[in-house]
Amino acid sequence: MQQSSLYQEEHHPSPLQYTWMEFKNNHIAVAGLFCFAFFLIITVFCPLLAPFDPNMQQTGDLMIPPAWDPNGGISHVFGTDALGRDLLSRIIYGCRMTFGISLLLVIVAMLLGVGLGALAGMSRGFRSSFLNHTLDSIQAIPTLLIAIIIIAILGPGLVNSMWAIALALIPQFMHQTRDFVRHELSKEYIMAAKLDGASKTHIFAHSILPNMGEMLVVQATLALSISILDISALGFLKLGAQAPSSELGAMLLEGIDVAYIAPWTIALPGGALFMMIISINLVGDGLRSALRNRLLH
Amino acid sequence: MANVLLRYTNLVLVTLFILSLLSFLLAYLFPGQALENLTGLRLNELSELQNSQIKYSVDNNIFVQYWHYVGELFSGNWGVSFNTGLPLYEDVGRYLPASIELSSYALLLSFFIGLPLGFIAALRHHKLTDYSLLSVSLLGYSIPVFWLALIMILVFSLQLGWFPLSGRISLLFEIPSITGFILIDILLSDLIDKQSAFIDALRHLILPTVSIAVVTTTMIFRITRRSVIETLNSEFILAAYARGLTPTQVLMRHGVRNALIPILPLLAMQFPTLLTNAMIVESIFSWPGIGNWLIQAIYQQDYPAIRAGMLAVSVLVVIFTMSIDLIIRLTDPRRRRAERAAI
Repeated sequence: MQQSSLYQEEHHPSPLQYTWMEFKNNHIAVAGLFCFAFFLIITVFCPLLAPFDPNMQQTGDLMIPPAWDPNGGISHVFGTDALGRDLLSRIIYGCRMTFGISLLLVIVAMLLGVGLGALAGMSRGFRSSFLNHTLDSIQAIPTLLIAIIIIAILGPGLVNSMWAIALALIPQFMHQTRDFVRHELSKEYIMAAKLDGASKTHIFAHSILPNMGEMLVVQATLALSISILDISALGFLKLGAQAPSSELGAMLLEGIDVAYIAPWTIALPGGALFMMIISINLVGDGLRSALRNRLLH
Repeated sequence: MANVLLRYTNLVLVTLFILSLLSFLLAYLFPGQALENLTGLRLNELSELQNSQIKYSVDNNIFVQYWHYVGELFSGNWGVSFNTGLPLYEDVGRYLPASIELSSYALLLSFFIGLPLGFIAALRHHKLTDYSLLSVSLLGYSIPVFWLALIMILVFSLQLGWFPLSGRISLLFEIPSITGFILIDILLSDLIDKQSAFIDALRHLILPTVSIAVVTTTMIFRITRRSVIETLNSEFILAAYARGLTPTQVLMRHGVRNALIPILPLLAMQFPTLLTNAMIVESIFSWPGIGNWLIQAIYQQDYPAIRAGMLAVSVLVVIFTMSIDLIIRLTDPRRRRAERAAI
C-alpha cells in the first residue's frame, strides 16, 4: 500500500480499526491470537493432520514415551497410551472435540442469551422482573450442580453434558445483554429513533444490536474458556464424554491409571487443554484492554 | 434499612420456595417411581401400614403432595439413600461441613495472597511488577483445576512424598465429630496425641486447598488490581493530593477503603465457581465432602441423594450470596443494587 498520501485529506480510522491498532500493540495478545488460530486450524483439518486413527490400538507399542525421551521413537511423537493408541492423534482429535463443541455451545448460548436478554432489557414491569429473578437464581447455582442434575435426569453422555453447559452459559449472556440494552436505552440516539417512530424491534435490531458486537465478542471469549473447562471437567468426572472417546478430559481420566509409570499420558492432554484456555484468555484480555484504551483516545 | 431487610427476606423466601419446588419436581423428572425417588425406599420394601399412609399422600393432587413434602423437609425427614439406606439428612449434615471447611480455607488463603498482590500490582501500574504479576495470574486462571490437582499429586505425593495422597485424616486417628470441621473438632477433642492429629489433618488439607485456591487467588488479584487502579484515577484522590497529603496518606485514608468496596460483591460472585472447583477437587482427593458424595450418587443412580444434595448446596449458595448482597446494600448507600465487578 502507498505510504504517503498526496492529498491533504485526513484519514479517520473506524472504531474497529482503532481496536485492531490497540490490539496489535499488545504482542502477547497477538501471540494468543495466533495460538487460537492454530487450534481453529486443528479443529477444521484434524483428519489431515493426525498421523494415525485416534482409536487404533497398536498392541506392540504400549506406553512408548514421547520422542524427546531416550526410549521414545519418532513414529509416535507424543508417545502412546496404555492401550497403544498414538497420543498425538488422540490429542489432535481431542482438541477438535473439546474446542469444536465448546465453540458450538458458545454460539448457541449466545443466540439464546442475547434474545432473552434483549427481551428482559426492552420490557418493563412484571415480565422484566420475572426474567431478572429467574436469571439471578440460575446464576447462583454452580455449573457443576446444574450439570449433575441434568445428567441425573437424562443419563451421562456427551450430548447431555452439552445441554447442561449451554444452560449454564446462557445466563451470563442474558445478564450482559440486559445491562447493555438498559444502558443504551437511556442514550439520546435511541430517543431520536423513538421520535422517528421506530418500533421496539426496530430500535433493537437497527440501533442497539450493531453497537453490541464488541461486548458480545469479549463475553464470548470468557464463555468459551468456561465452556472448555466445564466440558473437560465433566468428561474427567465420567459425566460427559465416555471412555473410548478422545475428549481431552476423558483422556486425562484414562491416563490416571498409568500416571505413575507413564506421566506423559496426563501431562500432554492437560497441557493441550491449558494452552487452549490460555490462548483464549489472552485474546479476551487483549481485546478488553484494547477496547478500554480505545475509548481513551 | 428496615425496607431493605424486608425486601431481602422476601427475596430469600421466594428463592427458597422455588428451590424446594424444583427439588420436589426432580423426583418426578428422574427415572423411576416418584415415590421411590422422594423417600428412597423401594416400594416392595415398605410395610403395609407405611405404604397405605404414603400412598394416601401421593394419591392426593400435586399441591397437597408438595405441602407434605415441605413438612417432611422441615422435620428433618429427607428420605434415605438407595444404596446405603442411611438417612439423607444426617449424610448431608456430615458431608457438607467438610466441603465448607475446604472451601473456606481456600477462600481465606486466596484473600491473604490475592489482596496484597492486587494492591502491589495496582500501585506499580504499567511497570514491570504489574506486568509480571498479571501474566502469572493469567496462567493461574487458565489452568484446569483437575489437571492442576493431578500434577500436584504426581509431584508432591508420588515423587517427593511430602503430602498424603487422599482423604481427610490418617485412619489411625478417631476424631469424634462435633462441629463437622475437622481442625476445630481436633482442638475440641480430648485425644492424647492432639498435636500429631492436628498436623496430620493439616498435611491432608494442604494439596486440595492449594489446588482450589490457585484459581480463586488469581480472580481476587485481578479484581483488586482493577478496583484499585480505578479508585486511584478518580477525582477525590486528586483532591486529596491537592490538599497536600503524602501518597501514603492518600492511599491509607482514601484509597484502600474505597477500593475495597467492589471486592465484597466479588466474593459473592466467586462462590459458585469456588464450590464447583471444590467439588471437582474433592472427587480427586477422595475428600469426604458433598461434591464427592454427589458425584458418587450420580454413578450409582442414587436419586434421593442427588435431590437432597442439590437442595442443600443450592440453599447454601443462595443464602450466602444473598447475605453478601445485603451487607453490600447496608454498608454502601451509593449502590442501589449489587453490580458485577469487572476483571
